[in-house]
Amino acid sequence: MARKLCILLLASFILLPGCGVKERWHTSTILAFDTICEINIFCSSSTFKSAQEEVQRVFSEIESLFSPGADDYSSPLVLDLFQRALKVYQDSNGCFDITVAPLSQVWGFFSKSYVVPAPEQIKSALKLIGMEKIEERNATLILMPDVGLDWGAIAKGFGIDLASKSLVQMGISNGFINAGGDLYCWGNNPSDQRWNIGLKHPRESGFLGVLSISDLGAATTGDYQRYFVKNGFRYHHVFDPRTGYPAQGKQSVTVCGPETLICDALSTALFVSREPEIIMEKYPDYGAIIVDSDGSLSFLGKTYPFNPIE
Amino acid sequence: MERREFFKKVVITPFLIPLFLAAKKTKNACELYLIEDNPEEFLPLILEELHDYVANYGHSFAFLNSHPHENDLRRILSQRGLTYTQAPAQADLTLSFSSLHEKTLPSFTLIREGRIWDIRSRKLYSLWREMNKNQRRSSCLTTVSFKSAPSNPLSGKYVSVHKEGSKLGMISLKENVTKSYRTRGGEITLRVKDGKAWVPESSCRHKICLHSPPVSFAGERIICVPNHFLLEIKGSRYIDTSIG
Repeated sequence: MARKLCILLLASFILLPGCGVKERWHTSTILAFDTICEINIFCSSSTFKSAQEEVQRVFSEIESLFSPGADDYSSPLVLDLFQRALKVYQDSNGCFDITVAPLSQVWGFFSKSYVVPAPEQIKSALKLIGMEKIEERNATLILMPDVGLDWGAIAKGFGIDLASKSLVQMGISNGFINAGGDLYCWGNNPSDQRWNIGLKHPRESGFLGVLSISDLGAATTGDYQRYFVKNGFRYHHVFDPRTGYPAQGKQSVTVCGPETLICDALSTALFVSREPEIIMEKYPDYGAIIVDSDGSLSFLGKTYPFNPIE
Repeated sequence: MERREFFKKVVITPFLIPLFLAAKKTKNACELYLIEDNPEEFLPLILEELHDYVANYGHSFAFLNSHPHENDLRRILSQRGLTYTQAPAQADLTLSFSSLHEKTLPSFTLIREGRIWDIRSRKLYSLWREMNKNQRRSSCLTTVSFKSAPSNPLSGKYVSVHKEGSKLGMISLKENVTKSYRTRGGEITLRVKDGKAWVPESSCRHKICLHSPPVSFAGERIICVPNHFLLEIKGSRYIDTSIG
């Protein structure tokens, strides 16, 4: 009897892993948003395949709607993101602004020609800036002549939110999507703990510290991501929409919070603003890690677990 | 000694179990339980070996309660360059004494990150065996808590290489190799030396990968978009991913 039981037990052990679909960690990288995006999720192999396709589909759609020069102003996604962007624009007193495209243009960031424009050029570009120059009428955006949109500081976060929502709906309960520095993570990591996200040091190799988070997004804006050096001066891609020059005073701003698109937009707004604490008061669920131009570290808003590295 | 046997022998001292459970909850980098009548003989040897793993354990030490060997321990630790302080809250290293209900074989156990540290592959193991062989049983338990985090908790072990969406393999950071990879975008070269990895050559246009500083910490990465190539450092307590 005991022997029979043993065999039965043994058989069930051998059979058990065969029942149902085996889930494991899957990693892959896809090209989107001018960078390599990393997907790391816990699911079955077949789910992983459809998840990859879904992320690719979402990212392609976002790219086609929000890349420089895109002009579909009546898509529901565009109208939706416009309203979200407008809110951050108002809350940040114009520090975050999607109409900075003419500035990126005169500074050569679109054509990659990188030039320091003459003050007159900046002056005339500044006349085209401000979200009041866009109007939403009959479910379409109407732009004043020569106004151009640059969704670069919000679209990636939007794409990550949409893609990760889709994956969660597919039943994937642990994972992250990291699109070149904008990220959303949910559930647990492979060691069954919160996700440990390293924050790159804005000047040196290595990390500033590690965020341990879950079910949250994070995004960084820094002066080191896209820049050119002329006459010993670093000109980066984050413009102060009020002066027309690259924003001064900080090396990087990382924002962590429930929605990646807000993290994305807020990191730009805080990077530009001279009074970031006033903006953060309006976003109580968000926290910021700021590296000032002298390299000192400061924190604003909600506190998320962060371990600085000495 | 087999892994199971090692753990059996460590944990077989049942009075240590509640201590292990307590150690799991503390935020200390490392806890040392030393059962030995003359802890001052063995502590310096253990500290020396630990230096590589729990380095930066700081320079100050304090006693949480009175220890029968306090004077000897103070002398021996001061000789090793540590400074005595009276305030345990500020000390990097705290020592305490407890007397065991019954005498047992001299030994030591290390708890790191809530787990018993398997030291069989370390030099410490010979010391452990030597002590364990000693038939002079002891009831003197010295507990040493290391407060600061282990040094370089992020130092990497391997480079994980990804090309066009799939992982090609891992290269140990201990190696000294140069490898070239053909990609749809051209060719990219990876160099691993002195525990660091970098890209010395790439056919891509902007050469962002080429200008990326060498990476060595777990979680650090170098990305080449035109070659759809990503290299990432992996390590024991590695970061899941990185941003910024």
